[in-house]
Amino acid sequence: MKALQWQGINKLAVGTVPDPELRNPGDIIVKVTRTVTCGSDLHLIGGYIPFMEKGDVLGHEFLGEVVEVGPDVRNHRAGDRVVVSSFISCGSCWYCDQRLFSLCDNGNTNPAITETMWGQAPSGCFGYSHAMGGNAGSHAEYIRVPFADVGAFTVPDTVSDERAVFASDSASTGWMGADLGGVGPGDVVAVWGAGAVGQMAARAAVLLGADRVIVIDRLENRLDQVRRHVGAETLNYESDDIAGELRERSGGRGPDVCIEAVGMEAHSPGPQFAYDQLKQQLRLQTDRPVAVRDAIHACRKGGSVFVLGVYAGFVDKFPLGALMNKGLTVRGAQMHGQRYIPMLLERMAKNELVTEYLATHVMPLGEAPEGYRIFKEKKDDCVRAVFVP
Amino acid sequence: MSRTGKVLLIAGPFVAGAAAVAVGRRAKRRTPARHRHVVTVYRPLVELEVTQLPGSLSEIVDRVEVSLAAAPGGRGTEIAIRIPDGSPITDGEVRRALRETRSLLEAGDVLLPSGPPTTVSTPLNRPLQKVTAHGREGGLL
Repeated sequence: MKALQWQGINKLAVGTVPDPELRNPGDIIVKVTRTVTCGSDLHLIGGYIPFMEKGDVLGHEFLGEVVEVGPDVRNHRAGDRVVVSSFISCGSCWYCDQRLFSLCDNGNTNPAITETMWGQAPSGCFGYSHAMGGNAGSHAEYIRVPFADVGAFTVPDTVSDERAVFASDSASTGWMGADLGGVGPGDVVAVWGAGAVGQMAARAAVLLGADRVIVIDRLENRLDQVRRHVGAETLNYESDDIAGELRERSGGRGPDVCIEAVGMEAHSPGPQFAYDQLKQQLRLQTDRPVAVRDAIHACRKGGSVFVLGVYAGFVDKFPLGALMNKGLTVRGAQMHGQRYIPMLLERMAKNELVTEYLATHVMPLGEAPEGYRIFKEKKDDCVRAVFVP
Repeated sequence: MSRTGKVLLIAGPFVAGAAAVAVGRRAKRRTPARHRHVVTVYRPLVELEVTQLPGSLSEIVDRVEVSLAAAPGGRGTEIAIRIPDGSPITDGEVRRALRETRSLLEAGDVLLPSGPPTTVSTPLNRPLQKVTAHGREGGLL
């Protein structure tokens, strides 16, 4: 079958790989019909997460049709249209029982790497390096989905492929940031990053009853999407005084909940960016935490900061003093998709959650390397490139 | 290619190799020092018996010391293993056995890696492949 493979740092190619096989009795094989680029893939492509092998298949946000089922699968049969959580979870361990699905104890076949780096291992993810299990990704004609009764969800007939595919990761991740960040009625919420995840976090905050939701980015096309589709306010960090605006728009208090949806390759104006980029290049830090610093500084006393952006290791100049003295709660997580996807599909069916506008570029899988180039360089107002195998 | 890209192109593979080797070395370094390993399984103590633990733990259970204790807060059962002095059983074997047994008890199965493989072996891949070939044997457990 055809698949998009990582061939080395900043090198992608569509090649021919063996079709996936059922390996465990709870597996299904899905014929991929939509698969999406994600900003976190860029960390893999660029070598920031150095656990890739030549030939690895990328992609973790996808939707498709079930074509084969293992003998233990109860919830799915061939022909089902399913959207799949990007994280692989058993559904039976203590973490799954707490609905912290991306922390599953049994979904990563290579726990040694992340356990050594981080103390404990999160679960596995599709197409996201050997540190996350080395699972073949979704930028392919077919994909194996383990623990399918837990992680694959049948899409209602009234929800299109184009909309449902974003339940797989972007919408789940964004919703998690607002939910676990504690957004409630009356809150002022600030979201750093107007990519798909940031927009979905902002939309979740709106739907959860926040009084004001403010999204921060530098790309006007994305901020325009926020205003038109999310129903939130916007700030451009290249032209607006972000700290001052957030303080003013929250009555001098600072936002109640700050959601960071940027990640380890954050940009910012001024010398801070040059400093962080140099340290990252010299491997004196692995991640650029610009947006996390800003979120912690802006957040009101006793407020909540949720880190949705992907980080791999260590950062410099982390504002621990502000965190401690302001009494902040800081949380983060990889996405607990299984917790949110059924609810998100219901909201999609009711048109409360509209996502298809995020797919600014839809193209055949054969053009995936070009799709990633456009996506990475943010050319042609690209927000997400969607591949159709 | 940007300057960042060039730097990463040069540094990335070495970092990957070094990280993979570090994981392996750390595991090896711990081998002589660690004789006790413990994992919490989300099953109540009343359901488990040392002699009936499933999976690869059953293959070594008569050559190690195994104890079971209720985990606090309804978190299940702590399975602790001590490798006797002089035993040929390695820390890696015990870690793998504990992880596989936990998965069997909780999920009824042990997840296998994707297959068939789509990757090719290169000099830069090999340290990482060496680590992932024993993915459940390393780590800190």
